[in-house]
Amino acid sequence: MKVKRVLIDSLITLAALAAAFALSIAFQRLDVEEHITTVFVFTVFLIALFTDSYFYGVAASVIATVAINYVFAFPYFAFDFIDPVNLVSAVIMVALAMITSLLATRLKHHKAVIAESEREQMRANLLRAVSHDLRTPLTTISSASAMLRENKAALTPEQQDSMLQSIQEDAQWLVRMVENLLSVTRIDNATMKITKAPMILDELIDSAVTKFAAKYPQPKVSIILPDEIVVIPMDAILIEQVIINLLENAVYHAKGMTVLSLQVLTQGDRAVFEIADDGCGIDENRLKHIFTGCYELQRDTASEKKRFAGIGLSVCATIVKAHGGSICAENRKEGGALFRFTLKKEDASDDEQ
Amino acid sequence: MTNNKYKILLIEDDANIRSVMTAMLETAGYQVHLADSCGFGKILYTSHQPDVVILDLGLPDMDGMHFLSFVRQDSLTPIIVLSARSDDRDKVLALDAGANDYVTKPFSSAEFLARIRMVLRNYQHRSDSGKLPGGKFRMRDLTIDYDARQIFIGEQEIRLSQTEYNIVALLSEHCGKMMTYSAIIKGVWGYPDEGSTKKLQVNMANIRKKFGVKPGDSWYISNELGVGYRMNGEKEE
Repeated sequence: MKVKRVLIDSLITLAALAAAFALSIAFQRLDVEEHITTVFVFTVFLIALFTDSYFYGVAASVIATVAINYVFAFPYFAFDFIDPVNLVSAVIMVALAMITSLLATRLKHHKAVIAESEREQMRANLLRAVSHDLRTPLTTISSASAMLRENKAALTPEQQDSMLQSIQEDAQWLVRMVENLLSVTRIDNATMKITKAPMILDELIDSAVTKFAAKYPQPKVSIILPDEIVVIPMDAILIEQVIINLLENAVYHAKGMTVLSLQVLTQGDRAVFEIADDGCGIDENRLKHIFTGCYELQRDTASEKKRFAGIGLSVCATIVKAHGGSICAENRKEGGALFRFTLKKEDASDDEQ
Repeated sequence: MTNNKYKILLIEDDANIRSVMTAMLETAGYQVHLADSCGFGKILYTSHQPDVVILDLGLPDMDGMHFLSFVRQDSLTPIIVLSARSDDRDKVLALDAGANDYVTKPFSSAEFLARIRMVLRNYQHRSDSGKLPGGKFRMRDLTIDYDARQIFIGEQEIRLSQTEYNIVALLSEHCGKMMTYSAIIKGVWGYPDEGSTKKLQVNMANIRKKFGVKPGDSWYISNELGVGYRMNGEKEE
Protein backbone atom coordinates (compact mmCIF):
# COMPACT_ATOMS: atom_id res chain seq x y z
CA MET A 1 0.00 0.00 0.00
CA LYS A 2 2.72 2.42 1.04
CA VAL A 3 4.98 1.47 -1.85
CA LYS A 4 2.06 1.95 -4.20
CA ARG A 5 1.39 5.41 -2.78
CA VAL A 6 5.02 6.45 -3.26
CA LEU A 7 4.91 5.20 -6.84
CA ILE A 8 1.70 7.09 -7.63
CA ASP A 9 3.02 10.32 -6.06
CA SER A 10 6.30 10.09 -7.93
CA LEU A 11 4.43 9.55 -11.21
CA ILE A 12 2.16 12.54 -10.53
CA THR A 13 5.21 14.70 -9.83
CA LEU A 14 7.12 13.60 -12.90
CA ALA A 15 4.11 13.87 -15.22
CA ALA A 16 3.23 17.36 -13.97
CA LEU A 17 6.81 18.56 -14.31
CA ALA A 18 7.09 17.09 -17.80
CA ALA A 19 3.87 18.87 -18.81
CA ALA A 20 5.15 22.16 -17.36
CA PHE A 21 8.43 21.73 -19.17
CA ALA A 22 6.67 21.10 -22.48
CA LEU A 23 4.42 24.09 -21.98
CA SER A 24 7.41 26.29 -21.13
CA ILE A 25 9.21 25.29 -24.29
CA ALA A 26 6.08 26.18 -26.24
CA PHE A 27 5.95 29.56 -24.46
CA GLN A 28 9.57 30.16 -25.29
CA ARG A 29 8.90 29.48 -28.97
CA LEU A 30 5.92 31.86 -28.86
CA ASP A 31 8.09 34.40 -27.13
CA VAL A 32 5.96 34.83 -23.99
CA GLU A 33 8.75 33.87 -21.64
CA GLU A 34 7.50 36.02 -18.78
CA HIS A 35 4.76 33.40 -18.06
CA ILE A 36 7.13 30.46 -17.69
CA THR A 37 7.67 31.12 -14.01
CA THR A 38 3.89 31.26 -13.50
CA VAL A 39 3.48 27.88 -15.20
CA PHE A 40 6.03 26.29 -12.87
CA VAL A 41 4.56 27.97 -9.80
CA PHE A 42 1.14 26.58 -10.73
CA THR A 43 2.60 23.12 -11.37
CA VAL A 44 4.31 23.08 -7.99
CA PHE A 45 1.02 24.11 -6.41
CA LEU A 46 -0.83 21.22 -8.10
CA ILE A 47 1.84 18.69 -7.14
CA ALA A 48 1.79 19.80 -3.52
CA LEU A 49 -2.00 19.55 -3.50
CA PHE A 50 -2.33 16.07 -4.99
CA THR A 51 0.56 14.23 -3.39
CA ASP A 52 0.76 12.78 0.06
CA SER A 53 3.80 14.42 1.64
CA TYR A 54 5.86 17.61 1.71
CA PHE A 55 8.62 15.88 -0.12
CA TYR A 56 7.11 15.93 -3.63
CA GLY A 57 6.12 19.60 -3.58
CA VAL A 58 9.49 20.71 -2.28
CA ALA A 59 11.38 18.44 -4.67
CA ALA A 60 9.26 19.73 -7.55
CA SER A 61 9.94 23.34 -6.57
CA VAL A 62 13.67 22.69 -6.44
CA ILE A 63 13.59 21.00 -9.85
CA ALA A 64 11.45 23.83 -11.23
CA THR A 65 13.84 26.46 -9.87
CA VAL A 66 16.80 24.69 -11.41
CA ALA A 67 14.94 24.28 -14.70
CA ILE A 68 13.91 27.92 -14.92
CA ASN A 69 17.31 29.11 -13.90
CA TYR A 70 19.21 26.81 -16.22
CA VAL A 71 17.02 26.47 -19.26
CA PHE A 72 14.54 29.28 -19.47
CA ALA A 73 16.16 32.27 -17.84
CA PHE A 74 18.97 34.44 -19.08
CA PRO A 75 21.80 33.40 -19.29
CA TYR A 76 20.43 30.28 -21.07
CA PHE A 77 21.93 26.89 -20.18
CA ALA A 78 23.93 28.31 -17.33
CA PHE A 79 23.18 28.84 -13.66
CA ASP A 80 22.84 32.32 -12.31
CA PHE A 81 21.69 32.58 -8.74
CA ILE A 82 22.99 36.07 -8.29
CA ASP A 83 20.21 37.63 -10.34
CA PRO A 84 17.66 38.73 -7.70
CA VAL A 85 14.70 37.89 -10.04
CA ASN A 86 15.73 34.23 -10.20
CA LEU A 87 16.37 34.08 -6.51
CA VAL A 88 12.97 35.54 -5.67
CA SER A 89 11.12 33.10 -7.91
CA ALA A 90 13.02 30.22 -6.30
CA VAL A 91 12.09 31.31 -2.81
CA ILE A 92 8.46 31.89 -3.77
CA MET A 93 8.14 28.44 -5.28
CA VAL A 94 9.63 26.60 -2.34
CA ALA A 95 7.46 28.58 0.06
CA LEU A 96 4.35 27.94 -2.02
CA ALA A 97 5.05 24.22 -2.16
CA MET A 98 5.44 24.00 1.59
CA ILE A 99 2.34 26.05 2.41
CA THR A 100 0.15 24.12 -0.05
CA SER A 101 1.34 20.78 1.27
CA LEU A 102 0.67 21.97 4.78
CA LEU A 103 -2.87 23.04 3.90
CA ALA A 104 -3.61 19.83 1.98
CA THR A 105 -2.33 17.72 4.86
CA ARG A 106 -4.43 19.69 7.29
CA LEU A 107 -7.53 19.19 5.18
CA LYS A 108 -6.96 15.43 5.08
CA HIS A 109 -6.33 15.41 8.80
CA HIS A 110 -9.53 17.36 9.37
CA LYS A 111 -11.55 14.79 7.42
CA ALA A 112 -9.98 11.98 9.44
CA VAL A 113 -10.87 13.82 12.65
CA ILE A 114 -14.50 14.13 11.60
CA ALA A 115 -14.70 10.41 10.74
CA GLU A 116 -13.03 9.57 14.03
CA SER A 117 -15.45 11.70 16.01
CA GLU A 118 -18.39 9.96 14.30
CA ARG A 119 -16.96 6.61 15.35
CA GLU A 120 -16.37 7.92 18.84
CA GLN A 121 -19.97 9.10 18.97
CA MET A 122 -21.19 5.66 17.98
CA ARG A 123 -18.96 3.96 20.51
CA ALA A 124 -19.98 6.40 23.22
CA ASN A 125 -23.68 5.78 22.51
CA LEU A 126 -23.15 2.07 22.75
CA LEU A 127 -21.10 2.34 25.91
CA ARG A 128 -23.68 4.57 27.57
CA ALA A 129 -26.48 2.21 26.66
CA VAL A 130 -24.46 -0.72 27.97
CA SER A 131 -23.39 0.73 31.28
CA HIS A 132 -26.91 1.99 31.79
CA ASP A 133 -28.27 -1.46 31.12
CA LEU A 134 -25.69 -3.59 32.90
CA ARG A 135 -26.56 -2.46 36.40
CA THR A 136 -30.06 -3.85 36.60
CA PRO A 137 -29.37 -7.48 35.75
CA LEU A 138 -26.19 -7.45 37.83
CA THR A 139 -28.13 -6.12 40.79
CA THR A 140 -30.70 -8.88 40.42
CA ILE A 141 -28.07 -11.58 40.12
CA SER A 142 -25.90 -10.47 43.00
CA SER A 143 -28.70 -9.63 45.43
CA ALA A 144 -30.84 -12.66 44.63
CA SER A 145 -27.91 -15.05 44.97
CA ALA A 146 -26.78 -13.41 48.21
CA MET A 147 -30.32 -13.67 49.53
CA LEU A 148 -30.50 -17.35 48.64
CA ARG A 149 -27.28 -18.12 50.48
CA GLU A 150 -27.88 -16.02 53.58
CA ASN A 151 -31.63 -16.35 54.15
CA LYS A 152 -32.41 -19.63 52.53
CA ALA A 153 -34.40 -20.87 55.53
CA ALA A 154 -36.67 -17.85 55.55
CA LEU A 155 -37.74 -18.26 51.95
CA THR A 156 -40.57 -20.47 50.74
CA PRO A 157 -39.65 -22.93 47.98
CA GLU A 158 -41.71 -20.81 45.54
CA GLN A 159 -39.76 -17.69 46.47
CA GLN A 160 -36.48 -19.53 46.07
CA ASP A 161 -37.58 -20.80 42.72
CA SER A 162 -38.62 -17.39 41.47
CA MET A 163 -35.29 -15.92 42.59
CA LEU A 164 -33.39 -18.62 40.76
CA GLN A 165 -35.48 -17.89 37.73
CA SER A 166 -34.65 -14.18 37.80
CA ILE A 167 -30.97 -15.00 38.20
CA GLN A 168 -31.13 -17.27 35.20
CA GLU A 169 -33.07 -14.81 33.04
CA ASP A 170 -30.80 -11.92 33.81
CA ALA A 171 -27.66 -13.97 33.33
CA GLN A 172 -28.94 -15.06 29.92
CA TRP A 173 -29.68 -11.47 29.09
CA LEU A 174 -26.09 -10.58 29.97
CA VAL A 175 -24.85 -13.40 27.76
CA ARG A 176 -26.76 -12.01 24.80
CA MET A 177 -25.46 -8.54 25.47
CA VAL A 178 -21.85 -9.71 25.69
CA GLU A 179 -22.24 -11.66 22.45
CA ASN A 180 -23.43 -8.49 20.79
CA LEU A 181 -20.60 -6.40 22.16
CA LEU A 182 -18.07 -9.04 21.19
CA SER A 183 -19.33 -9.01 17.64
CA VAL A 184 -18.82 -5.26 17.46
CA THR A 185 -15.18 -5.77 18.40
CA ARG A 186 -14.76 -7.84 15.24
CA ILE A 187 -15.15 -4.60 13.32
CA ASP A 188 -11.79 -2.92 12.94
CA ASN A 189 -11.73 0.16 15.17
CA ALA A 190 -9.70 2.43 12.97
CA THR A 191 -11.20 1.74 9.59
CA MET A 192 -14.65 0.33 10.39
CA LYS A 193 -13.65 -2.46 8.03
CA ILE A 194 -14.50 -6.12 8.33
CA THR A 195 -13.07 -9.25 6.78
CA LYS A 196 -15.46 -10.46 4.13
CA ALA A 197 -15.59 -13.93 2.66
CA PRO A 198 -18.10 -15.24 0.11
CA MET A 199 -21.01 -16.89 1.93
CA ILE A 200 -23.78 -19.06 0.54
CA LEU A 201 -27.11 -17.61 1.61
CA ASP A 202 -28.72 -20.99 2.44
CA GLU A 203 -25.89 -21.88 4.82
CA LEU A 204 -26.11 -18.53 6.59
CA ILE A 205 -29.87 -18.75 7.06
CA ASP A 206 -29.61 -22.39 8.15
CA SER A 207 -27.14 -21.54 10.89
CA ALA A 208 -28.91 -18.39 12.07
CA VAL A 209 -32.37 -19.97 12.21
CA THR A 210 -31.05 -23.14 13.88
CA LYS A 211 -29.44 -21.07 16.64
CA PHE A 212 -32.55 -18.97 17.03
CA ALA A 213 -34.83 -22.02 17.16
CA ALA A 214 -32.63 -23.62 19.83
CA LYS A 215 -33.31 -20.64 22.11
CA TYR A 216 -36.89 -19.91 21.09
CA PRO A 217 -38.66 -23.05 19.92
CA GLN A 218 -42.01 -21.32 19.92
CA PRO A 219 -42.57 -18.97 17.02
CA LYS A 220 -41.50 -21.16 14.13
CA VAL A 221 -39.86 -18.90 11.57
CA SER A 222 -41.29 -19.23 8.08
CA ILE A 223 -38.49 -18.87 5.55
CA ILE A 224 -38.63 -17.84 1.92
CA LEU A 225 -35.38 -17.90 -0.04
CA PRO A 226 -34.56 -17.50 -3.72
CA ASP A 227 -34.31 -20.81 -5.60
CA GLU A 228 -30.93 -20.04 -7.08
CA ILE A 229 -27.68 -20.11 -5.10
CA VAL A 230 -26.96 -16.60 -3.81
CA VAL A 231 -23.40 -15.70 -2.80
CA ILE A 232 -22.84 -12.66 -0.57
CA PRO A 233 -19.41 -11.45 0.57
CA MET A 234 -19.70 -10.85 4.31
CA ASP A 235 -18.42 -11.53 7.79
CA ALA A 236 -20.88 -14.36 8.32
CA ILE A 237 -20.63 -14.35 12.11
CA LEU A 238 -21.71 -10.71 12.17
CA ILE A 239 -24.56 -11.01 9.68
CA GLU A 240 -25.78 -14.07 11.55
CA GLN A 241 -25.85 -11.90 14.67
CA VAL A 242 -27.93 -9.29 12.81
CA ILE A 243 -30.49 -11.89 11.75
CA ILE A 244 -30.70 -13.41 15.23
CA ASN A 245 -31.03 -9.96 16.83
CA LEU A 246 -33.86 -8.99 14.51
CA LEU A 247 -35.69 -12.28 15.12
CA GLU A 248 -35.18 -11.93 18.89
CA ASN A 249 -36.37 -8.37 18.73
CA ALA A 250 -39.66 -9.61 17.30
CA VAL A 251 -39.97 -12.21 20.07
CA TYR A 252 -39.58 -9.57 22.78
CA HIS A 253 -41.42 -6.63 21.27
CA ALA A 254 -44.03 -7.79 18.79
CA LYS A 255 -46.88 -8.36 21.20
CA GLY A 256 -49.60 -10.61 19.87
CA MET A 257 -47.36 -12.00 17.15
CA THR A 258 -48.53 -15.21 15.49
CA VAL A 259 -46.34 -15.29 12.38
CA LEU A 260 -42.63 -14.48 12.18
CA SER A 261 -41.13 -14.60 8.72
CA LEU A 262 -37.71 -14.24 7.19
CA GLN A 263 -37.57 -13.57 3.50
CA VAL A 264 -34.60 -12.91 1.27
CA LEU A 265 -35.01 -11.55 -2.23
CA THR A 266 -32.52 -10.40 -4.82
CA GLN A 267 -32.88 -7.00 -6.49
CA GLY A 268 -30.25 -6.32 -9.12
CA ASP A 269 -26.88 -6.66 -7.43
CA ARG A 270 -28.34 -6.59 -3.93
CA ALA A 271 -29.78 -9.15 -1.55
CA VAL A 272 -32.68 -7.84 0.53
CA PHE A 273 -33.34 -9.46 3.91
CA GLU A 274 -36.79 -8.87 5.41
CA ILE A 275 -37.79 -9.92 8.90
CA ALA A 276 -41.52 -9.36 9.39
CA ASP A 277 -44.00 -10.06 12.17
CA ASP A 278 -47.72 -9.50 12.64
CA GLY A 279 -47.46 -8.15 16.17
CA CYS A 280 -48.23 -4.75 17.62
CA GLY A 281 -45.93 -2.74 15.37
CA ILE A 282 -43.55 0.03 16.40
CA ASP A 283 -44.53 3.34 17.96
CA GLU A 284 -44.00 6.08 15.35
CA ASN A 285 -41.94 8.19 17.78
CA ARG A 286 -39.54 5.33 18.36
CA LEU A 287 -39.22 4.44 14.73
CA LYS A 288 -36.93 7.40 14.04
CA HIS A 289 -34.39 6.54 16.72
CA ILE A 290 -34.78 2.80 16.70
CA PHE A 291 -31.27 2.06 15.42
CA THR A 292 -29.38 4.68 17.39
CA GLY A 293 -29.73 2.97 20.73
CA CYS A 294 -30.90 6.16 22.46
CA TYR A 295 -34.62 5.84 22.49
CA GLU A 296 -34.75 3.79 25.64
CA LEU A 297 -33.06 6.62 27.51
CA GLN A 298 -35.97 8.89 26.72
CA ARG A 299 -38.63 6.39 27.62
CA ASP A 300 -38.96 4.80 30.97
CA THR A 301 -37.41 1.40 31.24
CA ALA A 302 -39.82 -0.34 33.52
CA SER A 303 -39.77 -3.50 31.49
CA GLU A 304 -36.58 -5.50 31.45
CA LYS A 305 -37.15 -6.70 27.93
CA LYS A 306 -37.21 -3.26 26.40
CA ARG A 307 -33.58 -2.67 27.24
CA PHE A 308 -32.23 -5.21 24.86
CA ALA A 309 -33.76 -3.63 21.79
CA GLY A 310 -31.60 -0.52 22.02
CA ILE A 311 -28.31 -2.34 22.00
CA GLY A 312 -29.33 -5.20 19.75
CA LEU A 313 -30.64 -2.91 17.03
CA SER A 314 -27.80 -0.41 17.20
CA VAL A 315 -25.38 -3.33 16.86
CA CYS A 316 -27.36 -4.43 13.79
CA ALA A 317 -27.04 -0.97 12.26
CA THR A 318 -23.30 -0.82 13.00
CA ILE A 319 -22.71 -4.22 11.41
CA VAL A 320 -24.78 -3.57 8.30
CA LYS A 321 -23.14 -0.16 7.79
CA ALA A 322 -19.68 -1.67 8.14
CA HIS A 323 -20.70 -4.01 5.29
CA GLY A 324 -21.68 -1.01 3.17
CA GLY A 325 -25.34 -1.99 3.32
CA SER A 326 -28.44 -0.21 4.59
CA ILE A 327 -31.02 -1.03 7.25
CA CYS A 328 -34.48 0.34 8.00
CA ALA A 329 -37.57 -0.41 10.01
CA GLU A 330 -41.21 0.27 9.20
CA ASN A 331 -44.73 -0.66 10.15
CA ARG A 332 -46.54 -2.91 7.72
CA LYS A 333 -49.89 -1.83 6.32
CA GLU A 334 -51.40 -5.15 7.33
CA GLY A 335 -50.09 -4.72 10.90
CA GLY A 336 -46.83 -5.65 12.56
CA ALA A 337 -43.28 -4.49 12.02
CA LEU A 338 -40.83 -5.06 9.20
CA PHE A 339 -37.05 -4.80 9.42
CA ARG A 340 -35.20 -4.73 6.15
CA PHE A 341 -31.50 -4.73 5.42
CA THR A 342 -29.66 -5.01 2.13
CA LEU A 343 -26.20 -6.28 1.26
CA LYS A 344 -24.32 -6.32 -2.00
CA LYS A 345 -24.20 -9.81 -3.46
CA GLU A 346 -21.56 -11.40 -5.58
CA ASP A 347 -21.95 -11.22 -9.33
CA ALA A 348 -23.78 -14.33 -10.56
CA SER A 349 -21.19 -14.80 -13.30
CA ASP A 350 -18.47 -15.24 -10.66
CA ASP A 351 -19.84 -18.34 -9.05
CA GLU A 352 -19.62 -20.74 -11.94
CA GLN A 353 -17.35 -23.34 -10.41
CA MET B 1 -19.63 -46.03 43.65
CA THR B 2 -19.49 -48.53 40.90
CA ASN B 3 -16.50 -48.59 38.69
CA ASN B 4 -18.06 -48.92 35.26
CA LYS B 5 -18.77 -45.22 35.01
CA TYR B 6 -17.17 -43.29 32.20
CA LYS B 7 -14.12 -41.40 33.41
CA ILE B 8 -13.94 -37.76 32.43
CA LEU B 9 -10.86 -35.64 32.87
CA LEU B 10 -11.74 -31.98 33.25
CA ILE B 11 -8.89 -29.53 32.78
CA GLU B 12 -10.05 -26.04 33.71
CA ASP B 13 -8.37 -23.34 35.77
CA ASP B 14 -11.42 -21.44 37.01
CA ALA B 15 -12.59 -22.90 40.34
CA ASN B 16 -16.24 -21.80 39.96
CA ILE B 17 -16.63 -23.28 36.53
CA ARG B 18 -14.88 -26.44 37.75
CA SER B 19 -17.33 -26.89 40.60
CA VAL B 20 -20.41 -26.24 38.45
CA MET B 21 -19.22 -28.60 35.73
CA THR B 22 -18.30 -31.28 38.22
CA ALA B 23 -21.84 -31.10 39.57
CA MET B 24 -23.27 -31.33 36.03
CA LEU B 25 -21.12 -34.32 35.17
CA GLU B 26 -21.58 -36.22 38.42
CA THR B 27 -25.37 -35.87 38.36
CA ALA B 28 -25.25 -37.23 34.82
CA GLY B 29 -23.43 -40.31 36.16
CA TYR B 30 -19.85 -39.68 35.11
CA GLN B 31 -16.75 -40.06 37.24
CA VAL B 32 -14.77 -36.82 37.18
CA HIS B 33 -11.05 -36.16 37.60
CA LEU B 34 -10.04 -32.56 37.99
CA ALA B 35 -6.91 -30.72 36.91
CA ASP B 36 -6.31 -26.99 37.11
CA SER B 37 -3.31 -26.83 34.81
CA CYS B 38 -1.99 -28.37 31.65
CA GLY B 39 0.92 -30.04 33.46
CA PHE B 40 -1.28 -31.65 36.11
CA GLY B 41 -3.72 -32.61 33.36
CA LYS B 42 -0.99 -34.57 31.58
CA ILE B 43 -0.15 -36.47 34.77
CA LEU B 44 -3.79 -37.35 35.42
CA TYR B 45 -4.29 -38.29 31.80
CA THR B 46 -1.43 -40.77 31.84
CA SER B 47 -2.36 -42.28 35.20
CA HIS B 48 -6.15 -42.52 34.76
CA GLN B 49 -6.61 -43.01 30.99
CA PRO B 50 -9.96 -41.17 30.89
CA ASP B 51 -12.71 -41.90 28.34
CA VAL B 52 -13.23 -38.24 27.51
CA VAL B 53 -11.14 -35.14 28.14
CA ILE B 54 -12.74 -31.74 28.56
CA LEU B 55 -10.07 -29.15 27.98
CA ASP B 56 -10.09 -25.42 28.58
CA LEU B 57 -7.89 -23.67 26.03
CA GLY B 58 -6.77 -20.76 28.20
CA LEU B 59 -4.73 -22.43 30.95
CA PRO B 60 -2.25 -20.65 33.21
CA ASP B 61 0.86 -22.79 32.65
CA MET B 62 0.64 -23.42 28.92
CA ASP B 63 -1.81 -23.19 26.10
CA GLY B 64 -4.33 -26.02 25.93
CA MET B 65 -3.13 -26.69 22.40
CA HIS B 66 -0.03 -28.31 23.97
CA PHE B 67 -2.22 -30.80 25.75
CA LEU B 68 -4.04 -31.56 22.51
CA SER B 69 -0.86 -32.44 20.66
CA PHE B 70 0.41 -34.38 23.69
CA VAL B 71 -2.64 -36.66 23.67
CA ARG B 72 -2.88 -36.94 19.89
CA GLN B 73 0.67 -38.31 19.67
CA ASP B 74 -0.58 -41.78 20.49
CA SER B 75 -4.26 -41.80 21.29
CA LEU B 76 -7.71 -41.08 19.87
CA THR B 77 -9.36 -40.37 23.24
CA PRO B 78 -12.17 -37.89 22.51
CA ILE B 79 -11.34 -34.34 23.51
CA ILE B 80 -13.92 -31.61 23.83
CA VAL B 81 -12.45 -28.15 23.89
CA LEU B 82 -13.92 -25.52 26.15
CA SER B 83 -13.27 -21.97 25.19
CA ALA B 84 -14.34 -18.54 26.30
CA ARG B 85 -13.06 -17.23 23.03
CA SER B 86 -15.91 -17.11 20.57
CA ASP B 87 -13.44 -16.50 17.79
CA ASP B 88 -13.91 -19.10 15.08
CA ARG B 89 -10.18 -19.21 14.30
CA ASP B 90 -9.37 -20.72 17.71
CA LYS B 91 -12.03 -23.38 17.25
CA VAL B 92 -10.71 -24.27 13.81
CA LEU B 93 -7.14 -24.48 15.15
CA ALA B 94 -8.18 -26.76 18.01
CA LEU B 95 -10.27 -28.98 15.73
CA ASP B 96 -7.50 -29.27 13.16
CA ALA B 97 -5.09 -30.15 15.98
CA GLY B 98 -7.30 -33.13 16.82
CA ALA B 99 -10.08 -31.96 19.12
CA ASN B 100 -13.34 -33.80 18.46
CA ASP B 101 -15.68 -30.98 19.27
CA TYR B 102 -15.88 -27.70 21.09
CA VAL B 103 -18.27 -25.92 23.42
CA THR B 104 -18.20 -22.17 23.77
CA LYS B 105 -18.66 -20.67 27.22
CA PRO B 106 -21.26 -19.96 28.41
CA PHE B 107 -23.14 -23.16 27.65
CA SER B 108 -26.19 -24.94 29.01
CA SER B 109 -25.83 -28.25 30.78
CA ALA B 110 -28.13 -29.94 28.26
CA GLU B 111 -25.96 -28.81 25.35
CA PHE B 112 -22.77 -29.80 27.13
CA LEU B 113 -23.96 -33.28 28.13
CA ALA B 114 -25.32 -33.91 24.63
CA ARG B 115 -21.86 -33.24 23.21
CA ILE B 116 -20.27 -35.66 25.64
CA ARG B 117 -22.75 -38.40 24.80
CA MET B 118 -22.12 -37.75 21.13
CA VAL B 119 -18.34 -38.13 21.26
CA LEU B 120 -18.60 -41.16 23.56
CA ARG B 121 -21.01 -42.93 21.25
CA ASN B 122 -18.93 -42.12 18.23
CA TYR B 123 -15.76 -43.39 19.90
CA GLN B 124 -17.42 -46.62 21.02
CA HIS B 125 -18.90 -47.12 17.59
CA ARG B 126 -15.47 -46.86 16.07
CA SER B 127 -13.77 -49.17 18.54
CA ASP B 128 -16.47 -51.91 18.23
CA SER B 129 -16.90 -52.09 14.52
CA GLY B 130 -14.26 -49.98 12.92
CA LYS B 131 -14.79 -49.23 9.28
CA LEU B 132 -15.65 -52.57 7.73
CA PRO B 133 -15.34 -52.72 3.98
CA GLY B 134 -18.78 -53.02 2.48
CA GLY B 135 -20.22 -51.84 5.77
CA LYS B 136 -23.33 -49.80 6.19
CA PHE B 137 -23.87 -46.73 8.26
CA ARG B 138 -27.19 -46.46 10.06
CA MET B 139 -28.53 -43.60 12.06
CA ARG B 140 -32.23 -43.16 12.75
CA ASP B 141 -33.79 -43.54 9.28
CA LEU B 142 -30.63 -42.64 7.40
CA THR B 143 -28.71 -45.52 5.78
CA ILE B 144 -25.48 -45.20 3.84
CA ASP B 145 -24.31 -48.17 1.83
CA TYR B 146 -20.60 -47.49 1.38
CA ASP B 147 -20.12 -50.29 -1.16
CA ALA B 148 -22.93 -49.32 -3.47
CA ARG B 149 -22.37 -45.62 -2.74
CA GLN B 150 -26.08 -45.19 -2.04
CA ILE B 151 -27.91 -43.17 0.55
CA PHE B 152 -31.42 -43.94 1.79
CA ILE B 153 -33.93 -42.20 3.99
CA GLY B 154 -36.15 -45.05 5.12
CA GLU B 155 -36.74 -46.94 1.88
CA GLN B 156 -36.27 -44.01 -0.40
CA GLU B 157 -32.97 -43.42 -2.13
CA ILE B 158 -31.57 -39.90 -2.18
CA ARG B 159 -29.78 -39.35 -5.47
CA LEU B 160 -26.65 -37.30 -4.92
CA SER B 161 -23.85 -36.32 -7.25
CA GLN B 162 -20.47 -37.96 -6.72
CA THR B 163 -19.05 -35.01 -4.81
CA GLU B 164 -22.20 -34.67 -2.70
CA TYR B 165 -22.07 -38.35 -1.82
CA ASN B 166 -18.40 -38.07 -0.89
CA ILE B 167 -19.15 -35.22 1.48
CA VAL B 168 -21.98 -37.03 3.26
CA ALA B 169 -19.98 -40.27 3.44
CA LEU B 170 -16.97 -38.47 4.87
CA LEU B 171 -19.09 -36.80 7.55
CA SER B 172 -20.72 -40.13 8.44
CA GLU B 173 -17.31 -41.81 8.80
CA HIS B 174 -16.47 -39.15 11.36
CA CYS B 175 -19.94 -39.09 12.84
CA GLY B 176 -20.09 -36.95 15.98
CA LYS B 177 -16.88 -35.14 15.19
CA MET B 178 -16.92 -31.53 14.11
CA MET B 179 -15.11 -31.49 10.77
CA THR B 180 -13.54 -28.19 9.73
CA TYR B 181 -13.98 -26.87 6.20
CA SER B 182 -10.34 -27.58 5.41
CA ALA B 183 -10.56 -31.17 6.73
CA ILE B 184 -13.62 -31.87 4.56
CA ILE B 185 -12.05 -30.23 1.52
CA LYS B 186 -8.90 -32.28 1.98
CA GLY B 187 -10.96 -35.47 2.30
CA VAL B 188 -13.21 -34.81 -0.69
CA TRP B 189 -11.11 -32.88 -3.22
CA GLY B 190 -7.69 -33.82 -1.90
CA TYR B 191 -6.32 -30.29 -2.06
CA PRO B 192 -7.57 -26.87 -1.06
CA ASP B 193 -7.80 -24.07 -3.58
CA GLU B 194 -9.22 -20.60 -3.65
CA GLY B 195 -12.97 -20.65 -3.31
CA SER B 196 -13.08 -24.26 -2.14
CA THR B 197 -15.00 -23.31 1.02
CA LYS B 198 -17.57 -21.68 -1.22
CA LYS B 199 -17.68 -24.83 -3.36
CA LEU B 200 -18.24 -26.93 -0.25
CA GLN B 201 -21.03 -24.66 0.96
CA VAL B 202 -22.76 -24.73 -2.42
CA ASN B 203 -22.62 -28.54 -2.32
CA MET B 204 -24.03 -28.60 1.22
CA ALA B 205 -26.88 -26.29 0.20
CA ASN B 206 -27.68 -28.65 -2.67
CA ILE B 207 -27.45 -31.76 -0.47
CA ARG B 208 -29.89 -30.19 1.97
CA LYS B 209 -32.30 -29.47 -0.89
CA LYS B 210 -32.05 -33.05 -2.16
CA PHE B 211 -32.84 -34.35 1.32
CA GLY B 212 -35.89 -32.07 1.22
CA VAL B 213 -34.77 -30.13 4.28
CA LYS B 214 -35.31 -26.38 4.58
CA PRO B 215 -32.63 -24.16 6.09
CA GLY B 216 -33.13 -24.03 9.84
CA ASP B 217 -34.82 -27.44 10.10
CA SER B 218 -33.03 -29.87 12.36
CA TRP B 219 -31.28 -32.52 10.34
CA TYR B 220 -28.51 -35.15 10.41
CA ILE B 221 -25.83 -32.61 9.71
CA SER B 222 -25.26 -29.48 11.73
CA ASN B 223 -23.66 -26.40 10.36
CA GLU B 224 -21.26 -24.17 12.30
CA LEU B 225 -20.62 -20.97 10.40
CA GLY B 226 -16.98 -20.24 9.83
CA VAL B 227 -15.95 -23.60 11.34
CA GLY B 228 -17.35 -26.63 9.56
CA TYR B 229 -19.97 -29.40 9.62
CA ARG B 230 -20.78 -32.31 11.87
CA MET B 231 -22.95 -35.35 11.43
CA ASN B 232 -24.86 -35.60 14.67
CA GLY B 233 -24.61 -38.93 16.40
CA GLU B 234 -27.77 -38.42 18.35
CA LYS B 235 -30.75 -36.21 18.25
CA GLU B 236 -29.97 -32.84 19.83
CA GLU B 237 -32.19 -31.96 22.72
